[in-house]
Amino acid sequence: MLGVLLRWSWRDLRAHWPKVAAIAVVIAIGTGGYAGLTSTTEWRTVSYDQSYSQLAMYDVRVDAAPGSTVPVGTLATVVASLPSRASVAAVEERLIVPTQVDASTATQAILVRGEITGSDFSAEGPHVNSYHTFTGRPLTHDDAGAPLVMLERNFAKFYGIAPTAVVAISGGRDVEVVAQASTPEYFTVAPEGEMFMSEATFAGLFTTLETAQALAGLPGQVNNLVLTLNPGSDRAAVVAELGSALATGGIGATVLTRDDNLSYTALTTDIEQDQAMFNALAALLIAGAVGAAFNLIHRLAEQQRREIGVGMALGVRPGVLAIRPLLVSAQIAILGVLFGVAVGILIGNSMAAVFTGLIPLPVWKTAFPTTVFIRVAGIGLVVPFLASALPVWRAVRVAPIEAIRPAHLSATGLSGERRRRSLGNTFRVLPFRNIRRAPRRTALTVLGIAASLTVLMGFLGIMDSVFGAVDTAESEAVGRAPQRVTVALDTFYPITAPEVAAVAAAPQVAVVEPTLRLAGSVTGPGADFEMFLELADLTDGMWSPSVTAGTLGAGPGLILSEKAVADLGVGVGEAVTLRHPVREGLTFRFVDTELVVVATHPSPVRSIAYMHLVEADLFNLAGLTNAVNLLPVAGATTADVQQELFAQQAVASVQSVTAITEAVRDAFDQILGIIQVMVVAILLLALLIAFNTAAINLEARAREHATMFAFGVKVRKALRMAATESLVIGIAATTIGIGGGLLMVWWMTQRLLTETLPDFALPVLLRPETVAIVAIMGVLAVSLAPLLTVRRMRRMDLPGTLRLVE
Amino acid sequence: MLIELKDVTKRYGEGELAVVALDDISLLVDQGEFVVVLGPSGSGKTTLLNVVGALDSATEGVVRVNGVDISAATRRELFDFRARSVSFIFQSFNLFAGLTAEENVQFGADAASSGLDAAEVLASVGLGGKGHRFPHELSGGEQQRVAIARALATRNPIMLCDEPTGELDFRTGVQILELLQEQAGTGRAVLVVTHNREISRMADRVVELSSGRIVSDGPPAGGKAPVADLNW
Repeated sequence: MLGVLLRWSWRDLRAHWPKVAAIAVVIAIGTGGYAGLTSTTEWRTVSYDQSYSQLAMYDVRVDAAPGSTVPVGTLATVVASLPSRASVAAVEERLIVPTQVDASTATQAILVRGEITGSDFSAEGPHVNSYHTFTGRPLTHDDAGAPLVMLERNFAKFYGIAPTAVVAISGGRDVEVVAQASTPEYFTVAPEGEMFMSEATFAGLFTTLETAQALAGLPGQVNNLVLTLNPGSDRAAVVAELGSALATGGIGATVLTRDDNLSYTALTTDIEQDQAMFNALAALLIAGAVGAAFNLIHRLAEQQRREIGVGMALGVRPGVLAIRPLLVSAQIAILGVLFGVAVGILIGNSMAAVFTGLIPLPVWKTAFPTTVFIRVAGIGLVVPFLASALPVWRAVRVAPIEAIRPAHLSATGLSGERRRRSLGNTFRVLPFRNIRRAPRRTALTVLGIAASLTVLMGFLGIMDSVFGAVDTAESEAVGRAPQRVTVALDTFYPITAPEVAAVAAAPQVAVVEPTLRLAGSVTGPGADFEMFLELADLTDGMWSPSVTAGTLGAGPGLILSEKAVADLGVGVGEAVTLRHPVREGLTFRFVDTELVVVATHPSPVRSIAYMHLVEADLFNLAGLTNAVNLLPVAGATTADVQQELFAQQAVASVQSVTAITEAVRDAFDQILGIIQVMVVAILLLALLIAFNTAAINLEARAREHATMFAFGVKVRKALRMAATESLVIGIAATTIGIGGGLLMVWWMTQRLLTETLPDFALPVLLRPETVAIVAIMGVLAVSLAPLLTVRRMRRMDLPGTLRLVE
Repeated sequence: MLIELKDVTKRYGEGELAVVALDDISLLVDQGEFVVVLGPSGSGKTTLLNVVGALDSATEGVVRVNGVDISAATRRELFDFRARSVSFIFQSFNLFAGLTAEENVQFGADAASSGLDAAEVLASVGLGGKGHRFPHELSGGEQQRVAIARALATRNPIMLCDEPTGELDFRTGVQILELLQEQAGTGRAVLVVTHNREISRMADRVVELSSGRIVSDGPPAGGKAPVADLNW
């Protein structure tokens, strides 16, 4: 008997192999996709940890007050005097100075702001925040003082800069690039005041301490210290002692930890939030795939119900009868697991390729997630058996005659008592009745497709929301002065200083307006966070923020973003505490001041705040400026202004007002790679579900179709009816999918990403194009799936099908 | 003549594996005739029905039905032919499970664009009050009545019935045969394929097949019997 069943099953496989393979692929996309998506945490964590460890990322960092420096050894001496000095494993003093970088090539102008980091390469250093070289040769202590630098890898890669090149820095001096390298603070480029992934607008230059000092004109000076701690050390205690010692020594400086570094937090603490998002998407993906596979296998097994009834009538035991449908399940399960490994590797590799392309880590461990896959493959193995077992169980529980009874004589979802008014022409009625005939089957099909469309919407919607926020930020930054250019100065200058006058006098510059840009933090009942404060003439100046609540002229106070106000838990007219710098001679100290929120602006960037320049007294900066807004003369571009101001020593950077938003856009464009991988997988899933549903429908309704053809109904009309039925399913699935996608986008933007991107207000936004794409994909793909069965319909053996006596 | 078959042969397969289902058959059926095609299993009677109904094509010979030479017709013409000329009644009814009784009948009218009122046609086969029921809510006899009503709703001149009483008990079967006989009375040609010799007693004409050949063609032996005299 077993031999017969095996042969029979083999014939089943030969007859149904496209469906078996397609269902296996559905399972594979679910399980492989789940494994690929949910395993990123594992390999990202390992890769990040090993990379940070290999390059000795600092635990504690000391930044001298903006614009100030101290002699080499000063900061190290402070560290050596700490009570917890035994906790310190290594110390490096550095000089970090802002600059402009001209890396223009023959084909493109590349003028961005940047930073020169000078480290001590003696004794095989630096020992904290060391460098990994991707191309070229690493710097050594022998290069000390020479105009040689290593160019930051993300920036170099973004612009496709050659491994060896010559770039110019502020003041028009040339430095030779000997390598492309990275260091922990630059695994993702996150300069102060900007987003992470800002490689399009920020260039890091790494060199020896002596070279940095020479380039900056600060011989023997440093302004930064980084240190690592021994394992098990009390970092908070070291930070507290260091802050106290620096204050006692009269050194204006800020003590930070690696957790204050945006580049570090963006990569490490966000892994879990990223993973939460991937997990949610993966869960939906596998739910859709499993639900659809269950439905399809269930229907395949149900087609054997009559034969099971016949077997029972012949006295064959139920256990033996179950073998044949379960063998089909075994074929699907085995193929599903095999395909799943392939899909998992494909998705995992694709995601790994995107991540390794995005983040230049020295260590990447992206092995196939065997453990995760084995766990999820279990689902892929069990589902086909469950899906088959159910109809078999139902068939063997009833009397043989019930199992043999034709489907149309069995109970259905239709009843004459509940029949609604006919829709008219029977060709139009039939598709809707077929949907109502099997409500559970219809619901499972709808939900399977809807789940995949929800994931698709989720992926596309999150990008819409991000780009929508970027658009808002850009529109707000542009305002009524789209040509506006901001010039950052290397330190504070009197408004009447020759350096400021030189900017104003440049031939390409029409109007200048001095401003102040300061870093601080703000505290309210609901939150506290870093803040970038711009003081400008907000009433008569060349640009002012839009106001969404309050008024700009409502007296002294802060103009905060709507998100900032919401997060702080205050309203217009209420007070918050601003922690801000106050100038004391050549250094700064931080003080807390209560300020009223006088207005809100719509920028999605939470950390951007404004004040009137006339309130500069609060910071003891009246009459000073460290940034200039300007408008170019008619016909001049930002690049023209950049070129012209590049050689001025006091100019740290020249940027268009949209530079930051363009950088963010570029950064997210790179993430689109992940989205595209998933979109292809999801579309394939939806198509396979739709195709299989259509194929199984065709088999299940073969006799109905044959009867139609016997009555002269053309294949075209039968297809139209099948397409109508699929269209209804497609519309229902798409509607649920879009609704689910909207919910998903809401959850991701309003819950999940508020932790990942706390400084960014993401709207719940689905662009009409996105909805249209999903709707077209969902409705068209599903409703047109029956067309794939046209060949089989045309070749139908009419006499044979009609003669089938059930 | 509504049905003209001249030297029709139907072969399945080729060479040594070839099976001759119809072997050089010629047959004429006029309107108003109630013809029973009789024969044992494998005699070719269903193949004959399928060839007449253009569900299958003859290998050789000419098949002209309702004025259409279906042996030379295109695929499109065959669909039109089936919609306008023939109506099938099957042993297992082949009703649409998703349509009510009345809608199944309406389907016949829609397929042939006959414009007949489905409720009236259904009432004519004695199912006036059951139009709202779905097939699974009807008995076997009622389902076959619906199938007949569906065929009638096409207003096509030829009814092709393949073992129409095969799944019915004697009493119900007799009622169905009466119904079919009435249709011949309205001018339709009714071809009933059966292996049940008793049924042939009520026919105007009995065509007996054996191994794909017509072995006899004429009135029933012993004359046409009233339906009430049938017994099986």
